[in-house]
Amino acid sequence: MQTFDNASSGAIVLSMAERIIENRAYLSEIDGKIGDGDHGVNMAKGFGMAAERLKGTDASLSSSLDTLGTVLMTEIGGSMGPLYGVMFTEFAETIEGVEKIDAAAFSKMLHAGLAGIQSIGSAKVGDKTLLDTLVPAVEAFDTATAESKPFGAALEDLVAAAEKGRDSTIDLVAKIGRASRLGERSRGVLDAGATSCAILLKELSDGARARLA
Amino acid sequence: MALKTSASRKGVAGRTNGADGLDTIPLRYGDDPYVWACWLYYEDGMTQGEIAEAMGVSRATVNSYLAEAREKGIVNISIEPARLASLTIAQELKRHFGLADCLVVPNDDDTRPLIGRLGAAGAQALSKMIKSGDTLAVAWGRTILSVGEHLQTGPLQDVTVVQATGGTTASFAYTPELTAAAVARAISARCVNITAPAIVGSAQMHDMLLAEPLIREQFETLARANRVVFGIASLRPNSTIHTSGFFETVPLQHYLAKGAAGVLAGRFIDERGRPVAGPLDDRTIGISLDMLRDIPTRIAIAGGFDKVPALLAALRGGYVNVLVTDAATGAGILRADGVTSLDGKLSQRQRSVPVANSYRTHVKKFLNNPNDVVEEMLDGLIAAHRPYIETVGTSRRALVARNGPRPGKVGLVIGGGTGHEPCFVGYVGKGLADAVALGNIFSSPPPDPIVKCAVAASGGAGVLFVYGNYAGDVMNFEMAAELAEEQGIPIRTVLTTDDIASSPVEDKEGRRGVAGNFFVFKIAGAACDRGLTLDECEAITRKANDRTYTVGVALESCSMPQTRRHNFEIGPDDMELGMGIHGEPGVSRERLRTADEIVDAIMDNIFKEMKAEAGDKVAVLVNSFGATPLMELYILYRRVEQRLAAKNIEIEANWVGHYCTSLDMVGASISILHLDRQLTELLYHPCRTAILTIEGHETNGAARG
Repeated sequence: MQTFDNASSGAIVLSMAERIIENRAYLSEIDGKIGDGDHGVNMAKGFGMAAERLKGTDASLSSSLDTLGTVLMTEIGGSMGPLYGVMFTEFAETIEGVEKIDAAAFSKMLHAGLAGIQSIGSAKVGDKTLLDTLVPAVEAFDTATAESKPFGAALEDLVAAAEKGRDSTIDLVAKIGRASRLGERSRGVLDAGATSCAILLKELSDGARARLA
Repeated sequence: MALKTSASRKGVAGRTNGADGLDTIPLRYGDDPYVWACWLYYEDGMTQGEIAEAMGVSRATVNSYLAEAREKGIVNISIEPARLASLTIAQELKRHFGLADCLVVPNDDDTRPLIGRLGAAGAQALSKMIKSGDTLAVAWGRTILSVGEHLQTGPLQDVTVVQATGGTTASFAYTPELTAAAVARAISARCVNITAPAIVGSAQMHDMLLAEPLIREQFETLARANRVVFGIASLRPNSTIHTSGFFETVPLQHYLAKGAAGVLAGRFIDERGRPVAGPLDDRTIGISLDMLRDIPTRIAIAGGFDKVPALLAALRGGYVNVLVTDAATGAGILRADGVTSLDGKLSQRQRSVPVANSYRTHVKKFLNNPNDVVEEMLDGLIAAHRPYIETVGTSRRALVARNGPRPGKVGLVIGGGTGHEPCFVGYVGKGLADAVALGNIFSSPPPDPIVKCAVAASGGAGVLFVYGNYAGDVMNFEMAAELAEEQGIPIRTVLTTDDIASSPVEDKEGRRGVAGNFFVFKIAGAACDRGLTLDECEAITRKANDRTYTVGVALESCSMPQTRRHNFEIGPDDMELGMGIHGEPGVSRERLRTADEIVDAIMDNIFKEMKAEAGDKVAVLVNSFGATPLMELYILYRRVEQRLAAKNIEIEANWVGHYCTSLDMVGASISILHLDRQLTELLYHPCRTAILTIEGHETNGAARG
């Protein structure tokens, strides 16, 4: 059975931060079309601060995710601060103390993050939010595992479903958040939260897949 | 207008410019992006922004395609000669007589009678000019009656039509009563008649009638007219003036003998436009020439070649500043007044001026490091407002009022993102908010500083959170409320939802909070400072929010310090109605209109929801989104005042300026607080903050910061 090592995987969080910082301008631009254009800036600020604290610490994945979650929750504000903050904090708590992370632990982690987001936000799939990326990604991972696909293949399915979910937001009308005031005019544009969520899930999955043993 | 899209396109270089997206040009346009752009613009009627999207190029590129296409002759724009002639005459009449506007109907269409065509044109002019709250004086005449028959306007409120003269015998169809009634009916206006004869038997009778309270009241309405529409009659032998029954024949001869050239609203003028004295003057009941000339918009509608001397006289006398006539009459007036250049102009083709193609990609700002703007602003702000605020411990994102919180008083905590200065921090101080939590630009503060604020503001009687209704703020403030309650501080929350454009009235609770925050914070702060209970403070704040109505309009988007680019584009001739305070696009994109029309659109929306009656009092806030100067805010305020006055709603207090901004957005919002006795008292409750200081009770004037 494929697993990856919690203790030596903290660098995944650093590379997630790198991707977000790289995509700062892009995320702000798509946010600017229907939101206030600060998504990339605020995300980059939060992930940058977390990366600063983590650099050179050689922390485990669970402890790195906890640092990330805490920074996002306490320092960023906005709506993304609490939403991603609670997601990463839940991720961290679920895998804390797990030495070898297998598909079952990974699935449990994803579900805890999703439940955390749903406990503070009221969005549903189809509302043009990050849930349109996260929910199908989690479902695809579970389906693959149920079909006895190996952990690595299930992670690939997760990434594919996340990106497909992200793209689905182009045709959606925003139902929640600032973009919802635009009604039909929000159609035709990617949701920034769904896009950053796809970036994060891909980096997390690719990082895990590269470490599978 | 005729448009020709030329098939031959010499020297078109666009195909090699290699811009992304151009490789997907539909086949029918060849591979020529110029033709494609022109087709979309002129034939399909798309905007330049829409074309940019369709072609996958920037808006600036589309603009240059269209400009170059005209230079290259791909597109020829020609104007039908008859229309060109009437436009040229209109332009020349406007210039020569210094008119505010002029509409000239072409003479190519002789199948319809002139009166009908002038009536339709006059109706068109009038419908553009008449606004809600106007008082329109209407004189009698065939042409003006025809205006009434053709007139159609959008929904107008509080318009009064007043008859400009007394009445006449009903033996002809276009009496003053009928003419005024036709216009009033067409625009659903209140109609005020002058219930006296236009011409009475003696000067004594004239004086007696004008002393009658009823007629005096009717004349007071006439004196309030801000627009007047009238015809002009000539005194030539074939004029209807001789058969109308309006005048007796003998006095007419008298006026003719003294050089009268025309008649307007029953008054005689000579060829220079000077009044001609005669026996009817002190027997005529109606608008005087002096009253007429004092009315800001004076629309004359008349045509026919026999009227040239009369029209010229009226124009020279300054009785007209908007003229509606026909091309032959217009040309005749100009020639009669010695304008000789007209014929040359009529044969000349007007050349288009090429569109300038300047396009800037970055907005200039005063910056050191774009990532430090919030911190550096806080340095300056905390120093500047030191008399009013201090930090809570070392947290610069939680600021507390000096001498604000006190034992037994409900604490008021406000907060939100930065970029709205002076909101929110300008409203912290004694008598107003006790503490403020600040986030990043346009982004809610996290829970931690909010909890610090709650602790600092708490005087043992509970704490009230008041903030705008946004998903992020709600999440963070709710988490903070839970954490504060764990520390034994009871928390109540009122979300501000004053932006009536952001959701329909059925979803009132889903609306966002914008500049009306100013009023809600003020009322909440006063309630807390008066020592009311947490329940009472919450209820009063809720009431203030329910009675605050805001609509905003943006002309240009704001730009974030980090990107220095506009968050989105508003087209050169467009505006965004229903704009919020975060640079998020508004509710609908519309063509830019005049200041008064924009205020009218806003006020119509507000009046739809605010159940204010004559005699009620309101407070008004005209707020800049950041880049709109005070000069323009006063222009808006002027119209707000007119619209409220037309409903007899009294402005108890007003604020005009920067109160809740959105970085450098160009635009403004109008907020109205519908006062009652309790809210009025609380509005005047003393407070001392950086932006708003109220010393004590003032009435019926502007309370200023």
